[in-house]
Amino acid sequence: MDTMSADTPRLRPPRHRVDTRAVWWWTTRSLAVVVVLTAIPVVPALFWEPPRFWLLLAATVIGGFGLLVTVVMPQWRYRVHRWEVTDTAVYTSSGWLWQEWRVAPMSRIQTVDTARGPLQRMFGLSSVTVTTASAAGPIEIAGLDHALATQVADQLTDTTQATPGDAT
Amino acid sequence: MNPPDEHRPAAGEVPPADPSDARGEQEAAAPAEEGTTPSTADWQRLHPISVWASTVVAGVFLIPSAVVGTVVLVVAGQPLWALAPVPGALALLAFMTYLDMLRLRATRYRVTAERMEMRSGIIAKAYRSIPRERVRSVDVAAPVYVRVFGLCSVTVGTGEKVGAGADQLQLLYVTAEQGEWLRRDLLYRGAPRAAGPSGGSADGAPGAGGEDGTELARLDRRWFAYAPATTATMGVGLGAITGLLGLNAQTGGAGWDWISDQAGLPSISEMSSFVMARLVLVVPLTLLGLLVSGVLILTAVAVETWWDYRLTREADGTVRLRRGLLTSVSLSVEGRRLNGVTLHEPFVLRRAGGADVRAVATGLAAADEKKTSAKSRLSPPMPRSRALELAADLMRTPDSPLEVPLVRHPRAALRRRFTRATVVTVLGAVLAGTLSWLHTLASEAWWDVVHEAEREFVPVPLATSTVEATPAWGWAVLAVLIAAVAFWYAVGSYRGLGHGLHPRYLVVRQGMAVRDTVTLERSAVIGWRITRSPFQRRLGLADVAATTAAGQGSYAARDVGLGQGLSWAGEAVPELLEPFLARGDGRGDATAGEEPSRD
Repeated sequence: MDTMSADTPRLRPPRHRVDTRAVWWWTTRSLAVVVVLTAIPVVPALFWEPPRFWLLLAATVIGGFGLLVTVVMPQWRYRVHRWEVTDTAVYTSSGWLWQEWRVAPMSRIQTVDTARGPLQRMFGLSSVTVTTASAAGPIEIAGLDHALATQVADQLTDTTQATPGDAT
Repeated sequence: MNPPDEHRPAAGEVPPADPSDARGEQEAAAPAEEGTTPSTADWQRLHPISVWASTVVAGVFLIPSAVVGTVVLVVAGQPLWALAPVPGALALLAFMTYLDMLRLRATRYRVTAERMEMRSGIIAKAYRSIPRERVRSVDVAAPVYVRVFGLCSVTVGTGEKVGAGADQLQLLYVTAEQGEWLRRDLLYRGAPRAAGPSGGSADGAPGAGGEDGTELARLDRRWFAYAPATTATMGVGLGAITGLLGLNAQTGGAGWDWISDQAGLPSISEMSSFVMARLVLVVPLTLLGLLVSGVLILTAVAVETWWDYRLTREADGTVRLRRGLLTSVSLSVEGRRLNGVTLHEPFVLRRAGGADVRAVATGLAAADEKKTSAKSRLSPPMPRSRALELAADLMRTPDSPLEVPLVRHPRAALRRRFTRATVVTVLGAVLAGTLSWLHTLASEAWWDVVHEAEREFVPVPLATSTVEATPAWGWAVLAVLIAAVAFWYAVGSYRGLGHGLHPRYLVVRQGMAVRDTVTLERSAVIGWRITRSPFQRRLGLADVAATTAAGQGSYAARDVGLGQGLSWAGEAVPELLEPFLARGDGRGDATAGEEPSRD
């Protein structure tokens, strides 16, 4: 490991956390996936005698692992997921095991969207998606309070419109 | 899963297209707006002959196969059925021609002072409109069967990334003069625009500024010698031979039997024992055969692709590529949108001292990364020094950014690669162990079955006999070989890593099997993406990627030390990353975890 001198820069975390309800949203989402994956070996086990033991064993392993992820992942994500909008740029961090930090300057932002799936709607949450001309994919701030997301999107739209440049 | 429920365009000067809607620009322009457009703005059709071009091409394939079908059916004693193929083929041809005619009649395009528009579609009508300033590249291609009619196809690329292929507008076909006019006119910018660093000085009318502009490169036939310098050479030869063998297997080995009957060849078992007795001679001969056929095929392909290759820069800064023997291709890229180059060095070519140059440009995107990369090729494989020279010319820098000394990545990056090599070594050892165990288990009867199976597919069954004859220590050699290659590859790919800065460009290099050195204009960076896996966090490493509208969309310095990578990124584009960096207090990790402030 290289030694860190006092001058070595590191990423400071973006200023704001996402909404606490996002933890429940992630938990629900993960639980839904785990239930489906666990059901896949359980259903044939109900009708098919010979391999029942092995199918149920598989279901137990998948379910156990899935539940572990469901307990750990949302908390971990909540500690990592952060966002910040300054006058010049959008800055986000996301992920849990694999983590990602994104920066995009205002002058290069093409569109700003808010989106909410059925699950997010259940918890009163929204995502803000910021698109640039890059094929690397949009920047997403997921799990914001719906009103806050609208406000952030409006603010971003106003700032980008005031910033010169053709966004490419 | 998350349908957009509100949408705000956040515009700069140009209203951007809606990324969630492939035809987002459709509603943007009402055709009625263009009242005072010059006569060139009339709606134009594709050339009527293009229908017959397609018909002739289809006919060239369909009619002979129909005739062959008829003959086969007559020989097979099915005279009634023999009446079917030719009329059937003709009917199909007529139907295709009719559809094509409808398509032709439904398609209209025009170029006005502001935009290029196209209407198409027989049943589902489509209208696409591209603002002229969004045109990034114009690709004029003339395959030989289209060229004989004096036609060509025109593909107009925009900078929009709105899904597979949707960022392109294609005209099939227009006359060669029309294609040339579109190429010149669409990329011509009336006045030098707010100068990007590479913005050329445009002057003169469209099409002025000399026939050819400045020549950057021209084909040197000696470069074809680099064409077979790929790892695929053996594979291509193998492919050709496998194709023949596959044909043989499909006929149940009848083909081989016939040949051996005709030639009076000895039986398979005699032959294989003959071959086995001279393995030392046969193996090199086989490899040589593969090599020769591979070399022939690859050289032929290179000649077809790169014949008459010329790369020029026109007076308005547009870079124009011309190449092709049977399919002649002319690709023009707006100079301002050529944001950098890639020096592409696959392993074998690198060993042969060659490289090729690819564009990092907006508007060259194809359906996937591989096609994008193929479309971005600006030169055939050429001597490395010539490639460097060409790259410097393309970037208009006297000191090539490709010659900037690159910073090495931390030893931890090497450790990561060693870890991977260790995994491969263990897997290789397990594989070799399993094989040698199976080898001791295999009985005489089992081998007979295997030989029988192989004989079905391969006339000279060598593989299984070789396996049978392998002594026990052979498996140990296999394991050692796998380990040696894995570690050699690890060291090579660590040596390949590097990043650097040129006054105008940032430079990243990576890769062992294919080494790509990418230069990207610092002004073309439109964001950063830093990713860290759990392993990278443990080792203090990160992937630091610059995102851009050009090329693949992001170019990363892989496994760079976190601090090292961040200083590099911060220096490359001042002010962008700087507000989000913290210095000092010696804490090496950047996780967002233990941050005291909430909100």
